[in-house]
Amino acid sequence: MTVSAHGAVQPEQLMALLDHTSAVIYMRGLDGRYLLVNHEYERLFDVRREDIVGLTDHDLFPAEVADSFRANDLMAIAEGRPVRMEETAPGDTGLRTYITVKFPLMDAEQRPYAICGISTDITERKNAEEEVRRLNEELEERVVQRTAELEATTRELDAFAYSVSHDLRAPLRSLAGFSEILLEDYAEVIDEVGRGYLARIEANAARMARMIDDLLDLSRATRAELRRERVDLSALAREVVEELREAEPGRQATVEIADGLTANGDSHLVRLVLLNLIGNAWKFTAREAAAVIRIDALPRQHPPVFAVRDNGAGFDMRYAAKLFDPFQRSHSSSDFEGTGIGLAIVHRIVQRHGGRVWAQSEPGQGATFFFTLAVDRGRRTAREPA
Amino acid sequence: MNDGTILLVEDSPDDVLFTLRAFERNQFSNEVVVAVDGEQALEYLLPADGREPLRPALILLDVNLPKIDGLEVLRRIRANSRTAGLPVVVLTTSREERDIVDSYRLGANSFVRKPVVFGEFVDATQALGMYWLLVNEPVPPWRGEG
Repeated sequence: MTVSAHGAVQPEQLMALLDHTSAVIYMRGLDGRYLLVNHEYERLFDVRREDIVGLTDHDLFPAEVADSFRANDLMAIAEGRPVRMEETAPGDTGLRTYITVKFPLMDAEQRPYAICGISTDITERKNAEEEVRRLNEELEERVVQRTAELEATTRELDAFAYSVSHDLRAPLRSLAGFSEILLEDYAEVIDEVGRGYLARIEANAARMARMIDDLLDLSRATRAELRRERVDLSALAREVVEELREAEPGRQATVEIADGLTANGDSHLVRLVLLNLIGNAWKFTAREAAAVIRIDALPRQHPPVFAVRDNGAGFDMRYAAKLFDPFQRSHSSSDFEGTGIGLAIVHRIVQRHGGRVWAQSEPGQGATFFFTLAVDRGRRTAREPA
Repeated sequence: MNDGTILLVEDSPDDVLFTLRAFERNQFSNEVVVAVDGEQALEYLLPADGREPLRPALILLDVNLPKIDGLEVLRRIRANSRTAGLPVVVLTTSREERDIVDSYRLGANSFVRKPVVFGEFVDATQALGMYWLLVNEPVPPWRGEG
């Protein structure tokens, strides 16, 4: 045995140290014959150390494994210093991977006379790494695939909306157009009742055209790329009110717009939000003797909470949850004209900005619609229902 | 009223009828030549067989057309020096942003969406005719031929 101890340390003590590590430790002569193996080696390869001494790896392992061990031994001997490498050896459950440090033992003349090896099993770590790599690869693949699917869906949706905007409106123009022509050219052969029916055809064609436009707005609110910029909501609101007044010059309504309402958002889409909310307020105050519409923001809220208030017909809070679904209408069409898509558009746009929209009302007491255009990271407002 | 010819490029017979009726209603006496697809429109404007080319005072161009679509017709009108100066109004059903942007990018003079309600259609046609046939000064013919 070449292992020597200085002072109080005995060879048995050193051997005990070697035997109680989880690493595989061995020493071979320059000719490859085993001089020493530790307990872990015995356990792993199911051999006893007294049986193995004098054997080479070629007696213990398949030729190609033994060859590679031998090549690594010779390399470390030639280097004359510790060399780190990865090795594989057959185990109970297939090939196992080791990180091995090999170093030659030198005699007094600095000539190598033996080679030592310490091998640590890294199979589990290696497998885990491989698993992580595989999962990452799979995930990347899935992301690419989903993105492609999403892009395909968006393209289809685009094509669909495009086709709707072209092809669904054209027949309506024919319906409305020919009704009008009948009314004009054949007025003397169609009686009052018949003329009423024709007028209804025309009105409904026009109504359906508006619904198609609103559906396209809804689809665009979903598809359009969000381009955030500083938006002056006060200015947008004034524009919207101006349009409403122009469309209905006879309407008397007091509209108060707070100054300095700004937010970070897509100005085109935010305008659609205001158009729909103020448009609703305008519509539902049509029967008020003194209609008042107010656009402002709640004090001290971050992100800002904007409000569109009216003193109009209002609605029953029991239906508040359904308010923002497409085609939900809180009033019969004979009471108030509408397509039932406006609030769905508002909801979609607000959602895309990361904000929220909610409403507060009582029948006959007017309504207030609140909305934000940014993610609320802190407290919630007292007015929002839980 | 100006005696310039109007080239109406429209594949829907109903829309042709409405447009002619709207002209009539607005007392436009201009001759209207109808092309029912993009190919026919280009044959009128840029005949390949040596026939006399049509030089309308105004082209009303639908976007969705069989064979060669409206935007391609517009592109070829603008690409040819003999037709590049003609006023083209894209008159279509759609309000798709894409159509509007592409029309202007390809050199449309105006983009008008056909209203569903006939009365509004008549009003739109009148406004169009008033502006393009009366108010607007076209490219002089001796300069337009390039």
